[in-house]
Amino acid sequence: MRQAKLNLVPHRWRTSPPNILQSLLAVQAHLGYVPTDVAPEMARALQVTEADVAGVLSFYPDLHLRQAGRHRVRVCVGESCVANHGSRVLTALAEELRIGLGATTPDKRFTLERVYCVGNCAVSPTVVIDDQVHGRVTPSDIPTLLSPYK
Amino acid sequence: MTTRLYISNDTSARAARADRLAEAWEGDARVELVRTSSRGAFFLEPLVEREGPEGRLAWPLARREDLTRILAGEGGVAIGKIPFLAQQHRITFADFGQAAPLSLADFRAHGGWSGLHRALSLDPQEIIDELNISRLRGRGGAAFPVWRKWQVAKDQPSGVKYVVANADEGDAGTYCDRMIMEGEPFRLIEGMLICGRAIGADLGYVYCRHEYPTAFHTIREAVALAQAAGMLDQDGRHFQLDIVQGAGSYVCGEETALLESLEGRRGEVRAKPPYPAIAGLNCRPTIVSNVLTFATVPSILAKGGEWYAAHGTETSRGTVVLQLGGRVKQPGLVEIPFGATLEEVLHRFGGGMAPGARFKAIQVGGPLGSLFSESHLGIRLCYEAFADAGAILGHGGIVVYDEETDMVELARHYMAFVADESCGKCTPCRIGSVRGREILERIQTGQGRAGDLVLLRDLGETMKATSLCALGGRAPYPVLTAIEQFPNEFRKK
Repeated sequence: MRQAKLNLVPHRWRTSPPNILQSLLAVQAHLGYVPTDVAPEMARALQVTEADVAGVLSFYPDLHLRQAGRHRVRVCVGESCVANHGSRVLTALAEELRIGLGATTPDKRFTLERVYCVGNCAVSPTVVIDDQVHGRVTPSDIPTLLSPYK
Repeated sequence: MTTRLYISNDTSARAARADRLAEAWEGDARVELVRTSSRGAFFLEPLVEREGPEGRLAWPLARREDLTRILAGEGGVAIGKIPFLAQQHRITFADFGQAAPLSLADFRAHGGWSGLHRALSLDPQEIIDELNISRLRGRGGAAFPVWRKWQVAKDQPSGVKYVVANADEGDAGTYCDRMIMEGEPFRLIEGMLICGRAIGADLGYVYCRHEYPTAFHTIREAVALAQAAGMLDQDGRHFQLDIVQGAGSYVCGEETALLESLEGRRGEVRAKPPYPAIAGLNCRPTIVSNVLTFATVPSILAKGGEWYAAHGTETSRGTVVLQLGGRVKQPGLVEIPFGATLEEVLHRFGGGMAPGARFKAIQVGGPLGSLFSESHLGIRLCYEAFADAGAILGHGGIVVYDEETDMVELARHYMAFVADESCGKCTPCRIGSVRGREILERIQTGQGRAGDLVLLRDLGETMKATSLCALGGRAPYPVLTAIEQFPNEFRKK
């Protein structure tokens, strides 16, 4: 099983020195997150220290250490969304899902997160569900917005 | 008879539900759909266009039921008569909204590759001389003269050199790099090829932020298409171009942190010198430039440095690409010559405030940019005026805040952002941003102490003077300008 995870790292990143970030992203692309037991295995396979791998893993916000729900709901907190009172959208989402930031609903349907700008500032406030960007979102849009995601 | 309709495929057009129109009309035998780049007039999206007797006709904020009217040609506005677009002076974004982003034929038909062809007729030094004449400065934020950087890299002994496009457009309120990668990716490739020829580099990377999945896939596909068409092989040399994704770190937009990240490590800032043009990626000479900078180069080569330098002001030549956002009535992309005032831009292009909103403050240059109140809107948008005011144009982001905005909360938001994103390498930024956030949280909860504002100012001055990079060095600006211009909000808490 462990070996299988490391087989997900393409040859192009197993250089000397190796590209740790891209190796971790490759694992995440397949599994959706980076399981904690990957770090020591990867360190051995790439011939770097465990601290090197753990350091990269903890530095980047988009490397996830836990499995998220089936759908990742990200609310933009960039300045244009802040100016357009996106915080009200975040509050409405937290109320609708009954979870706080970083949490996953008990049915594992949604994980609620924030994102710092997706470049959708001209049609803000923005909510991103998986890779789908939704613009001009108001608190009253939330139920309709979530309903297609099962 | 089928009618060809154009609908943008840009992320923001889709976020404004352009996809719903496309899905609804796709099977209609009367319609041939073309998905294009975006004109950047996002307040009009979803915008549907078709050919008219004198250029394109447009139907702004189109709905599904408008199809019959559109096919009958009823009610369309001529694109050239939309003031937001007509009053711009576009160079880099001139063709946006017209073509299919991944069509090499469309790109060529709009003058694509003509900058590269000119560059191929010049020797490397002549290319750099042309950029010197154009007086182009880097558009990512630092505004360093482009030719000088290229000259340093070119003058290094030959061997492995790199061209790196910084596509980590992290400043909130900016989206022009995303539009380029999604809308005219070949233009970025063209600029990078010209740079490669000028400095003698055969290897290139685009470091694209994780938050831009569509841009990432589009530019990757564009590279594959350009390669298949032989465009990466020029003059007997092959230019290898790879697209690499980041992982959500803001500081990786700083050039040395970007290089660390590209090498697969933590995105920690490097001390300079040596500058990347001498020792960058894998310690080799490297040009790191913003996407917009590379995308500006082809027009300069095609039409000449003098032509480009004829636009703008004394030390800010050419056009500035502004991105309007926040509580403005007409958010979108504005490309005009440097030199207009902030007020003109806000009214002529922004159309004033969004309905029901009253102006409070405007921020220029992303999360590290200064805030301006109403009395400061006369400032001209050019490097010299912003430098005189101790502000930055940055990457051209402009965010407008309305009077409901709580300035103490906004200041806390900025400091908390820097505390989150600091790479941790230097103490003033790592510790200073956390202390700054703590002081602001104290003020916010009514526990502010006498001298807190003085302490914040002292802390800010220390961070400005001693931080290793612009993240720590610029972090105090939005906070201190908020205190300076809205002192009562901070005192009464």
